[in-house]
Amino acid sequence: MRPSLLLALLLLAIGILDVGLLLQSGQQRAAWPVRMASAGIATEALGLTDLCIATEARYTRHPAVSDPLAPFMDHPGGLEHFPTGSFWAYPWQHLRGASL
Amino acid sequence: MNFLLEKQLNLLDYALASLWRRKLKNLGIMSVFAGVICLVASFQFLTASLTATAQDLLAEAPEIVVQQMSAGRQEALPLSYLSSLEELNGVRTVAPRIWGYYFSEISGANYTVLAVDPSVMPKGDRLFQAVEGQLPSGPGEAVLGSGVAADLKLAGRRSFSLFRPDLTLKPMQMVGVFKPDTDLLTADLIYTTPDAARDLFAIPADHCTDLCVYVANPREIGTIAKKISVILPGTRVLTRPQISQTYRVVFGWRSGFASICLLSALAAFVILAWDKASGLSAEEKREIAILKVLGWQTGDILLLRCWESLIAAGLAWLLGCTAAYLHVFWLGGALFKPVMLGWSVIHPQLRLLPVVSTADLLLIFTMSVVPYLAATVIPAWRAAITPPDAAIR
Repeated sequence: MRPSLLLALLLLAIGILDVGLLLQSGQQRAAWPVRMASAGIATEALGLTDLCIATEARYTRHPAVSDPLAPFMDHPGGLEHFPTGSFWAYPWQHLRGASL
Repeated sequence: MNFLLEKQLNLLDYALASLWRRKLKNLGIMSVFAGVICLVASFQFLTASLTATAQDLLAEAPEIVVQQMSAGRQEALPLSYLSSLEELNGVRTVAPRIWGYYFSEISGANYTVLAVDPSVMPKGDRLFQAVEGQLPSGPGEAVLGSGVAADLKLAGRRSFSLFRPDLTLKPMQMVGVFKPDTDLLTADLIYTTPDAARDLFAIPADHCTDLCVYVANPREIGTIAKKISVILPGTRVLTRPQISQTYRVVFGWRSGFASICLLSALAAFVILAWDKASGLSAEEKREIAILKVLGWQTGDILLLRCWESLIAAGLAWLLGCTAAYLHVFWLGGALFKPVMLGWSVIHPQLRLLPVVSTADLLLIFTMSVVPYLAATVIPAWRAAITPPDAAIR
């Protein structure tokens, strides 16, 4: 068997896997509005503003409504020390530049 | 046409055989390369998915949120503001919210306690659809997020207690639990009555935490927000577009961890490219010289190198992206979860909207495969134009 044929078979196998994953993600996206209907109701009825992903610090639990200086304002000279602070960027430029 | 195709197939066969001859080295490079691509792609998929999920779930967030600021911090807001806002033209409803954080000394978890009158909120009459059980109505009744319910370890009990600021106990009663589908919004939530929340946080009866303002015409959100900031100086006014845009920025490439991932990926790649670009090994140079003695042209050798690099980098890209998809959407981004959740005690289930765009895949391809091709073909060209006898010697 030619080596190029082996490569083609390998690419075909990866391709089939990727197409399967693509179809599955399409199904999930199609089912999303039905699945998340109750989440939409909760957002509107409770006036929720943020996703609940990280709950350790208020500026990563509620980045949309927390104080602009929250990571550094617990005490004078206070440093941001929560691990999630390294993953979540505070939207400085957006809030400074955004027009009401 | 057939001749050209046959030539390319032969070159491809030779390239594959050549790669296989140095399989340990090439498989090693491919694995590291695929790992780096997987890391970068995972981050890109995860942030894109989180952003899309936030856009979708928070599409109906409050139109305007008004917060009282004092000395740079948010503080309780007098309910007298309510009448000022209701008088504004275009304002449909103003809903006071009482909310805050409760730190559990026992488990170290942070809960978000929220109270709002559902009768003044949009879709407040349908809130029961998001809850398994009843809505709170009596004193101390509460609906718990699944994370809070698990953290409190109620074990069949319905009553629990929380500490007030003066350390006296506030008795609470669980009357329902938020449905698991709302976990991404409510996992740490204790939803209770306004009176119970005021009692728990010692907030005076004539104050609330913030105000949600709903307008008659959504196109007037910006105008009304400006009016509010004029009539209520000292307040911070946030609009729905701002809330929505926050999540487009907050998970962006500028976030610290993304920078670290990118820098490490780039550093690994630079080392790899430098190793390749610094010159071919003596064995590889001799091989090229022998091929030229046998009648191969410089173009043929470049094509051969292109095939070799394309196979290695292309396969690494394919495997890396596939692994990244599985990692993010099947394993819930297990590698990033510890950093994304940090010291959070409550871990919501990440049910994310799977989003993989062609633009993301092309971006990763351009960042990985194209520079690799350039870094390997250029030294091969330099070796191919040296006289064969000099290379063999």
